[in-house]
Amino acid sequence: MDAVSVKNLKIRYGSHVVLNGLNFEIEKGNIAAVIGPNGSGKTMLFKALLGLIPYEGEIKIFQKSIKNALKRIAYVPQHFDFDRTLPITVDEILSFASNGKSINAKEICREVSVDILAEKLIGDLSGGQLQRVLIAQALIKDPDLLFLDEPSAGIDIEGSKAFYDLIKHINKEHDVTILLISHEMSMVSDLADQILCLNRDLVCNGPPREVLTKKVLDKLYGPEMNIREHKHL
Amino acid sequence: MIVWLALPFIQRAVLAGLILGALLAILGIFVVLRRMAFFSDGIAHASLAGVAVGVLADTNPLFTALGISTILAVIMAWLERKTKVASDAIVGLIFTGGMATGVILLALKSGYQPELVSFLFGNILSIQWSELWLMAVLAALIVAFLLLNYKRLALMVLNPEIAHLSGVPVTLYQTLLYVTVAASAVLGIKMLGVALLSALLIVPVSTAKLIAKSFRSLMLWSVIMSELTVIAGIALSIQLNLPTGAVIVICGLILFLVTLAGSKLFNR
Repeated sequence: MDAVSVKNLKIRYGSHVVLNGLNFEIEKGNIAAVIGPNGSGKTMLFKALLGLIPYEGEIKIFQKSIKNALKRIAYVPQHFDFDRTLPITVDEILSFASNGKSINAKEICREVSVDILAEKLIGDLSGGQLQRVLIAQALIKDPDLLFLDEPSAGIDIEGSKAFYDLIKHINKEHDVTILLISHEMSMVSDLADQILCLNRDLVCNGPPREVLTKKVLDKLYGPEMNIREHKHL
Repeated sequence: MIVWLALPFIQRAVLAGLILGALLAILGIFVVLRRMAFFSDGIAHASLAGVAVGVLADTNPLFTALGISTILAVIMAWLERKTKVASDAIVGLIFTGGMATGVILLALKSGYQPELVSFLFGNILSIQWSELWLMAVLAALIVAFLLLNYKRLALMVLNPEIAHLSGVPVTLYQTLLYVTVAASAVLGIKMLGVALLSALLIVPVSTAKLIAKSFRSLMLWSVIMSELTVIAGIALSIQLNLPTGAVIVICGLILFLVTLAGSKLFNR
């Protein structure tokens, strides 16, 4: 069964075509990574898949329209801008997102090591801790599909490694299909089951070993780009 | 103050002050959180058009200002969503357009315009029972909306995408937040005037931020700080025979400075 099915997706920004005629599927239970240079339309693709912007073509999430599948989707944003001096605790931000509906919030917080931060103010958290809180708010929804927009941006290498381990854990243990945007080629090539290369068009789509060829990377990033293996994963 | 409280106009002023103090303090949290102080200032200034319509139509300007500022808030929310014009530019357009319309309309009426001075600097001591009732009902509705929906509103302000996926109707809540700020700003004009209104939206929250340890305690402390400010301001202005709105603002600032000094000493 496909978790995501996209047919002839076209996104315009004014008269400018941002994404042109995209077709792809993501199988349920997979980790799929969207890669591409800045301005290639990755974030626009996410916005369309989340039902936040108008688009042409067809998007189905678990064979339903986005609106009817929203309850099964969770999202971790790249940026979480807020006034850091505002006193909002981790517990409170999680209760805002769940609106008191989650029955397993405590268990999830323990699982992603957020329980020890419960009384801390979100303005006092490090980048890695904040990212874990955002993951927790997403998992509290008990989603079947999780969108992660550059999840390890602003986290150091060790933190990033731990973060990708957590993504793997969520995928395997919670049976959550994951779609993420990342610039970390070495990480995603080891982590993802499927790679979608974007540069307005879909430049590649398939397992990393098959699609991350020099030809494709040249097409995406120019001839300077190569993948270094990541020893931690 | 106790002796003064026997006078009906002082009773009305104190009641209005307490109602508006609580309303503006709670709403101020969302204004600060969403960094929309310029919006509240802009919509308050634009409501001069509504004041002028009331003066020309010989009805209470407070009622017409409420109606027109609510319409303007809906227009601003729509423009922000449907056009590429930046939010602060939209506020600027409505701000200046509303004020200019108000000035032109008021010029059509000859003679001294006490409403204009009251609009600029407030006059809580002149509040009437009908206005007080309107204030009480509207404030109760807005505070109930804010308290029942504060989690959804906070999430929407912090991250609209996550709010959308959590089932919050973002467009509707955005518009409702704008409308509540617009209506509260107009009510606040009666107390502080357009020139000083933002103070009661911003200062009590800023003071509360110095001591609050959570969002809930921030709401509680903001209301406490706001009510202390209003009561002290009204009492001092009567005692010293000074403009009430301005004294309320100065009291708020003194409370902020004292709390700041106290928090610095305490956290050493």
